[in-house]
Amino acid sequence: MTGLVALKAAYTVTWIIPLLYLRYLLTRYRRVRHEMKDLKRSS
Amino acid sequence: MKPVSVLFIVFTLALLGFSTYQALVVAPTEQTMGEVQRIFYYHAPTAWVAGLCFFANFLASVAYLLRRNSNADALAAASAEVGVVFCTIVLITGPIWARPVWGIWWTWDARLTTTLVLWLIYVGYLILRRFATGSQTQTLAAVVAIFGFVDVPIVYMSIRWFRTQHPSPVIGGGENSGLDPAMWHAFLWNLLAFTCVGIIFVTARYRLQKLEDQVEAEHARLALERSMR
Repeated sequence: MTGLVALKAAYTVTWIIPLLYLRYLLTRYRRVRHEMKDLKRSS
Repeated sequence: MKPVSVLFIVFTLALLGFSTYQALVVAPTEQTMGEVQRIFYYHAPTAWVAGLCFFANFLASVAYLLRRNSNADALAAASAEVGVVFCTIVLITGPIWARPVWGIWWTWDARLTTTLVLWLIYVGYLILRRFATGSQTQTLAAVVAIFGFVDVPIVYMSIRWFRTQHPSPVIGGGENSGLDPAMWHAFLWNLLAFTCVGIIFVTARYRLQKLEDQVEAEHARLALERSMR
């Protein structure tokens, strides 16, 4: 692995992991909001 | 979302663009390692954010044990999760740097091993929070967090206490340590940018935790109502 390839790989990892985490947070947030609406409707 | 939050996110995005430019273009190429040294501008700031998150988790856990405050518990959960995310980046970017420089992906030296142990401790903490049931879960999690935090100063000091393959500290490492001023600027900009990203993530995760707590409380209230009918 050359230095430049390693740099690109590290840079990609540094951005992909937070972006995946952000997507996970948004998905979870939508699910909880939906659940909250359902609960309010049923009560 | 509040206007101040939107402003902070826009500021952070602009800062990230600028700090990336500083790291990849402005900072001079290191003479011995070459381009691969630029990984340092991501690796060290993400390690810093992970450490900050675990420190926040420690403080929140102490606050929870003292006051049984649900906000403190939510902050502990949020900061531990974000800390694990950043610690994962550290554990992946480190070996990517090591391969061309050392010729190996991994070695069981003090810094690397203690960092892996740190990651495992907080993954264990998150698993405990996720799967343990009963009223004592939050208390148990807080105790685990306080004991787990002991590893953070050990990780920090490991390259000072032991002879390791990991590079010696460039910040606060003694007389012969330090960075070129241009490298310092790039490093500090990235440190600031990643700290802002960490703050955004912890805030978002904290709000999510509070929402989840509300849903859980609502479920409990409905269940109680049904059982009383």
